[in-house]
Amino acid sequence: MTAQARPAGEGPPIANGSPGMPTALVGMLLFIASEVMFFGGLFATYFNARASVAPEPWEPPPGGHLDLALAAVLTAILVASSFTMQFGVWAIRRGDTGKLKMWTAITLALGVLFLGGQLYDYSELGFGISDGVFGTVFYTLTGFHGAHVFGGAVGLTIILARTMRGQFSARNHVAVEAVSVYWHFVDVVWIGVFSTIYLLR
Amino acid sequence: MSDTAIGFGLIGIGMLVVLGIVFVVFSRGGPAEARPKPPQGVHLPSPSFLPVVLSLGGALIGSGLAFRGDNEIANPFLAIPGLLVFVAGCVWWVRAANHEWRDTEHGSHGDEATH
Repeated sequence: MTAQARPAGEGPPIANGSPGMPTALVGMLLFIASEVMFFGGLFATYFNARASVAPEPWEPPPGGHLDLALAAVLTAILVASSFTMQFGVWAIRRGDTGKLKMWTAITLALGVLFLGGQLYDYSELGFGISDGVFGTVFYTLTGFHGAHVFGGAVGLTIILARTMRGQFSARNHVAVEAVSVYWHFVDVVWIGVFSTIYLLR
Repeated sequence: MSDTAIGFGLIGIGMLVVLGIVFVVFSRGGPAEARPKPPQGVHLPSPSFLPVVLSLGGALIGSGLAFRGDNEIANPFLAIPGLLVFVAGCVWWVRAANHEWRDTEHGSHGDEATH
C-alpha cells in the first residue's frame, strides 16, 4: 500500500517502508542497549562489593582459586568465535551459503566449547555462589554472561538450521546480521568480565 | 567425581539437548521461498495475558531461589511449579505467535483495523 492509496488522516499509520536499517536489526540493537544497562548494573554490583570489603583483600574464599590460564584460553576461544561469525556474515553478503554454513557451525562449536570450559571451571573452582561476597558476585557476573552465551548458541543453532534449509541469500539474511551483532556483544562483555575479574586483582 | 562436577555436567548435557531440540525444530519444513509473505501494512499483536503468566512463573522461580533451605539449591514447592508455569507460558506464547502469524498470512488478521 502506498501513501497515495489513502487520504491523509484516515486509518492507522502506514508502515515505514524505507530501505534503511531492517526492523529486526533495529530491534536487536535496542535489545543490546538494554543488555548494556543490565551488565552495567552487574559490573556496578561487582565494584561496589569489592569496595565494601576493603581493606580486606579481594580474593576467593579459603580453599578456592581462580584459574587464570583456563579463563585466558576461554577468552581466546570466544574472541576467535567472533571472527568466525563475521566471516560467515561476509560470506552470506556475497551469497555464499556454503561458507555461511561452515562458519556458523564453527562459531557454534566454539561457543559450546566456551560453555563447556566454563562449566568445567565452575566444577574446579573450590567455592560456590553462597561462599561469601566474592563467590556471589563472581557466579552472578560470569553465570549471567554464560546464560547470554547460551542464548547466542541457540540463535546460532537457528541460523545453522535455517541456512541448511536454504532460507538465506545475499539479499535476505537480516537474521544472520542480528545474531552476529548479538554474538559480538557477548564477546565484548566477556572481555570486560575477564579483565575485571581475572586481570584487575 | 564430585557432586558439583556431576551437577555442572548435567547442566552441560541439558544445554546440548536444548540446542539439539532447537536445531530439529528449525530444520523442519521447506525453504523460505515457499512461505507466503504477509500483506503489507501495520500488524500489531493482539492483547495477551501471556506476559503475566511468564512473569508469574519467573516470580515463583525467584521466590524458590530466595526462600530455600540450607542444603537446597531452591525451594522445590515454589521453583518447580514456577518452572512449569514459565515453560508452559513460553510454549503457549510461541504457539499463539505462530497462530497469529498464520492468520496474518491468510489475511484474516486484524479485520477490525484498516490496513
